[in-house]
Amino acid sequence: MSPQWFGQQISAARPRVVAALAGRLRDLDLAEDAFADASAAALVAWPNQAPRDPAAWLWRAGLRKALDAKRRSAVRERAVLDEPAPPPTPEEALMAADEPIPDERLKLIFVCCHPALAPDSRAALTLKVVCGLSTKRLARAFFVAEPAMLQRITRAKKKIAGAGVPFEVPGRQAWPERLEAVLTTLEIAYAQAYEDAALAGESAGFAAEVLRLSGLLAELTPDEPEVLGLAALVRFAEARRPARLDDLGAMVPPEQQDVGLWRRDLIAEGARLLERAAGFARSGPRQILAAIHGAHCTRAETGATDWAAIAALYDVLAYLRPHAATAVNRAVAIGEARGPEAGLAELANVEGMETWLPYQTALAALSARAGRKPQAAAAYAAALALSPAPAERLYLEARRRELG
Amino acid sequence: MQYMILIYEPEDAYAGEAGQAALQDIVAKHMALAADLRAKGWMKDGSGLQDSSTATTIITKGGQQTLHDGPFAETREHLGGYYLIEVADLDAALSVARRVPVIDGGKVEVRPLAVY
Repeated sequence: MSPQWFGQQISAARPRVVAALAGRLRDLDLAEDAFADASAAALVAWPNQAPRDPAAWLWRAGLRKALDAKRRSAVRERAVLDEPAPPPTPEEALMAADEPIPDERLKLIFVCCHPALAPDSRAALTLKVVCGLSTKRLARAFFVAEPAMLQRITRAKKKIAGAGVPFEVPGRQAWPERLEAVLTTLEIAYAQAYEDAALAGESAGFAAEVLRLSGLLAELTPDEPEVLGLAALVRFAEARRPARLDDLGAMVPPEQQDVGLWRRDLIAEGARLLERAAGFARSGPRQILAAIHGAHCTRAETGATDWAAIAALYDVLAYLRPHAATAVNRAVAIGEARGPEAGLAELANVEGMETWLPYQTALAALSARAGRKPQAAAAYAAALALSPAPAERLYLEARRRELG
Repeated sequence: MQYMILIYEPEDAYAGEAGQAALQDIVAKHMALAADLRAKGWMKDGSGLQDSSTATTIITKGGQQTLHDGPFAETREHLGGYYLIEVADLDAALSVARRVPVIDGGKVEVRPLAVY
């Protein structure tokens, strides 16, 4: 039994086991502690006898340990020494009956993404509790100091317990708002993972967790097109990850990536999810974003990027999500589809994004293609002054050198 | 669980003739909400407060108590009323709080009571 196999089993079982423990114990901290105790026990027990069902094993061990701890602290509180062990509670009797592990994962996700929590806290808490990411890793990914991240998570847990956030899947009438909060949380988490991984190497992020989490949500709510859209989006974007950096570590834009490096399995999975979403005929921003990422991936089949199609999708996205960031990306697509002058004209309508790196990058690239060297040079200088990540810095410096 | 619903509103919003008309409308909505909460058995207590110019604040510092004419915080929105409700959980409390009528710019805070 390799440590790797062990780690995989533990992390694969985690969402289901922690969710079941949280559902039973009604306390996220206790559930996490119980899972940690159960994992430690597994480390000792499994080499002697591999479990038939690791999740069920961890669930039983975790629940037993949590109930033991509760009982011990209850005894301690009464300050009675040498008291005989109390008779088993109905819960413990149930345990003896080999209660199957309940599936409470959706409830746990809804709790961690409750709109009464700050959006940043929701993303961190979900990754911590559901996926088991360490506070240290989360602190790095969200660019905050570790004590600040710990405080954020502690505060969120305290609010859940203190304010009476229910451990329930909300009623259907509350879904528009509640599911929106879940999707936004996963989007924030994925945006972090995507950025983080652009740095590559040792700091490679938790994209795999978001990939799994979005797939899990699609499995648990198969009738929600935006959930399917998000799962598709993450798959299309992750499919291109192996091609995102060149040999020197510089960023490679999607239209120049080596399609031979793309993961076809993820592209196929994304396409299936997006097709299923389309069957509901209820469009939304995640489905459109997924379609844009999907359109980039289509180059693997056709050999060319269909910029006209991508620009049309950005038209829809700009309507659904009228944000300046969308407008910048739309200008880039229009620049590719209809020429750099058309792109620059669109970009000229975008206000207040001068300190956003993609804005300056787009301005520089479009200006260069339009033959406006001084503007391009100024925009590259402005972009480099915004302290880009190493991969983007290398890319921008190379483009600036090409200007001559 | 018991929750306190605290209502903060800009007081000047109720000034003038239009303000008074708005006030009448909002008071009527409060009555209707309170009646519904009572019928459901959720209402523990609740009331509107007189405006903040009637407030007196006692400040304790260094063992000394001094009186201050006015509310403790100089903000545009003032505590104008409250509900004390007993419901199952935060979601239920939030759905009640969403029904609390406020004038534009009003804020409604939901706080669980501490249980000892």
